[in-house]
Amino acid sequence: MMLPYQCIIAACDRYEAGGNEWILFGVSGSRLVAQSSTGATSIWPAEEHPIEEPSPENEEQEPPEKRVKLSPPLEQKSNFSILRLSNDKKYLVAVTAEDKCIRVFRVDSEGRLQQLIQRCMTRRPCSIALTSDDSTVLCADKFGDVYALPLLPSPEDDQISTPPSEKIEQKKFVPSASLLTVHSGRNRKVLEEQMKQAEKGPSQSKETPKFKHDLLLGHVSMLTDIAYAAVDSRSYIITADRDEHIRISRGPPQAHIIEGFCYGHEEFVSRLCLTSSGRLVSGGGDAHLYVWDWSSYQLLETLPIRDTVLDYYRGHSQLALLLPQDTQAFKTAVCGIWTVPYGGSEGDEVLVACEGVPAIVSFKLGSSATIGTVLPLAGNALDVAFIYARGSSCTAVVSIDHLHRPGSTTEIREDEAMSRLQCFAYQQDGQWAEDGSIVEALEWFNRRAAGEPEAGSDGRAGGGDTVDEKATRDILYGMEKLRKRPGAED
Amino acid sequence: MPGEPAKRQKREEYKKALTSDEQNAALPKKKFYRQRAHANPFSDHALTYPKSPADMGWASLYPAYAVKNGEEGKAENESHDQTEEEQRRAKAIMKNVEIADIGCGFGGLLFALAPKFPDTLMLGMEIRISVTEYVVDKIRALRTQHASTSAYQNISCLRANTMKFLPNFFSKHQLSKIFLCFPDPHFKQRKHKARIVSYTLNSEYAFVLRPGGIVYTITDVQDLHEWMVEHFERHPSFERVGEEEQEADECVRVMKSETEEGKKVERNGGTKFVALYRRVEDPPWP
Ligand SMILES: C[S@@+](CC[C@H](N)C(=O)[O-])C[C@H]1O[C@@H](n2cnc3c(N)ncnc32)[C@H](O)[C@@H]1O
Repeated sequence: MMLPYQCIIAACDRYEAGGNEWILFGVSGSRLVAQSSTGATSIWPAEEHPIEEPSPENEEQEPPEKRVKLSPPLEQKSNFSILRLSNDKKYLVAVTAEDKCIRVFRVDSEGRLQQLIQRCMTRRPCSIALTSDDSTVLCADKFGDVYALPLLPSPEDDQISTPPSEKIEQKKFVPSASLLTVHSGRNRKVLEEQMKQAEKGPSQSKETPKFKHDLLLGHVSMLTDIAYAAVDSRSYIITADRDEHIRISRGPPQAHIIEGFCYGHEEFVSRLCLTSSGRLVSGGGDAHLYVWDWSSYQLLETLPIRDTVLDYYRGHSQLALLLPQDTQAFKTAVCGIWTVPYGGSEGDEVLVACEGVPAIVSFKLGSSATIGTVLPLAGNALDVAFIYARGSSCTAVVSIDHLHRPGSTTEIREDEAMSRLQCFAYQQDGQWAEDGSIVEALEWFNRRAAGEPEAGSDGRAGGGDTVDEKATRDILYGMEKLRKRPGAED
Repeated sequence: MPGEPAKRQKREEYKKALTSDEQNAALPKKKFYRQRAHANPFSDHALTYPKSPADMGWASLYPAYAVKNGEEGKAENESHDQTEEEQRRAKAIMKNVEIADIGCGFGGLLFALAPKFPDTLMLGMEIRISVTEYVVDKIRALRTQHASTSAYQNISCLRANTMKFLPNFFSKHQLSKIFLCFPDPHFKQRKHKARIVSYTLNSEYAFVLRPGGIVYTITDVQDLHEWMVEHFERHPSFERVGEEEQEADECVRVMKSETEEGKKVERNGGTKFVALYRRVEDPPWP
């Protein structure tokens, strides 16, 4: 059985820019798949595409991670968790979860992928963003820190072994306390251990990465999303965390300066989305999405995501069964917000997905709509990508969970395997209509890619006949876990 | 975590008795408020904190400074339900808190500073619940004892995890002084992110401090001192205050001698490492 596409993303030229060529990328477990509008297809990792090594100018000075790159790509067993395209569409940046690696791929015009570099972070990346000049990857991690990495390291960057932030931590092997320090029993024990350690010399328990990565800012909370914005000559980094914060910092090189916060969320924030007109839409565990004039920290409107989903469930007998007795207890956890890129005069529109919900919700901003428009799906929504398939029409490609029952993140469905994608075309009247023809064009991507070579024992989630339910769940779902439980320890 | 049942019951009875009217002016006894030394700053706790600084109910902490609700036009000209604006005004105070003692412990610094800055509002912030209660009870007792002079109306204390929620309490550039006295050292290397000073947290201190404002640090752990120095000196929003100015600062003397930890170190004959940092103006932004 094949896994759903946990993430998809499309490189697509606007129709004005002379055509309707597109490449759709998707990750399914530990594989990366691409199909272009010309019909070209590729899968990574694949044996027939050994990684070409850009010949190093100086063998002697070859930095360690270049050797890492030589390891056969099939060893790669980590599951992908994040996909981003550079603004020029020439590079795909992907994160694999278990090994905490940020991977940069070169994309050719046919969508063929070549991994240029992989850099494993010490903490799991939760979200990444690229600066508008594509020079830098911003990585927001589980421990709350944001690091800047050059998209492609220059030879000079490779020489930099340890960033100053970590030098501070590594410098000392002298014990932290003297005998005159006021001690609790526990501290005394630590001190004794440190004295023993000091005799043995430095411990190299935790490898700090050898590649250039600069600490820009940090929250004492798990980061959930990061966005980069450039407005006139200024740049900004927007970060969201599990403790309800949305922080606006200056962009590098002044990222240590916090400009302000968008206050208002009462539950975790999980997703940030900058719209075509530059507004910020945020969502998470709250019943509403918030729309911000973020440069002045002003809340402009709220969008009732929970009630929209609740309404939809009530209208569908199968889904209504899933509602709790007390519908007040029904909660949604936003797992995706996408701005619809028609970039015309229509105004901002966002599509929204909630974890474990078999629908996409559309909101038109500024319309003071009391409820969103629902696009029903045959499986839980996972990700959305936009392509201009024909002429002027914009198509939303939605990846859906074909393994679990619609509305459930735990129960496996019993019916026949179905499509992993659904497509919706934007209509003249401003509505979305399901469009099967694109799904047909994506037949290879949808059904065959990554379907065949699932050897049973290779340890990949989804390999073989039985799907490892727990592993699959971990790949697809994690938002609801961010919600705080009442009565946590004191 | 107030220990075994008998002890807990004793504590509860004690605290109840303390808050009953006749004894209101009695100072609380520390032994009923002791708590395990370390609280985990990463865990969720059952904390309450305002959604934003504007949502903070300061009036209940500094009642003497509460904005009296405008009696004049408050009639029935609008609907019965309070507007958000009105609710905010009801929580407001006449001046803002300007000094924060982060990880205030049993509050020695606050009690010593209260008479020195009688017109400045100061707030102790402490993550441990019983320790916070002690400070709150002591402030109440002192206010009662000094009712005639209105002393101690300018200090207050609340429970907070400042490492996560400082910007929920204070707005940009609100504070003039932040005290970080004898922070928990978190000796273990893998616990360094739990330290209350770090390059990334310093950005939050810079956010709530006005340009020219000062961060005061003191510790008896040399390694922690060096850590704090390095992390502040690396941060472009701070510059170290010179030795002369530091030693002339009245608050430095108070922080050395009036904090509970300062006294303990004194008794043990330990060394106290002091460092002050001035928050500089933000650089121009192209
Ligand atoms: C060693 S005591 C020092 C107390 C006091 N400042 C003194 O000098 O006597 C450190 C205090 O910081 C508190 N603390 C640690 N982390 C904290 C946090 N994240 N937020 C608020 N208080 C914290 C601890 O509970 C403890 O009471």
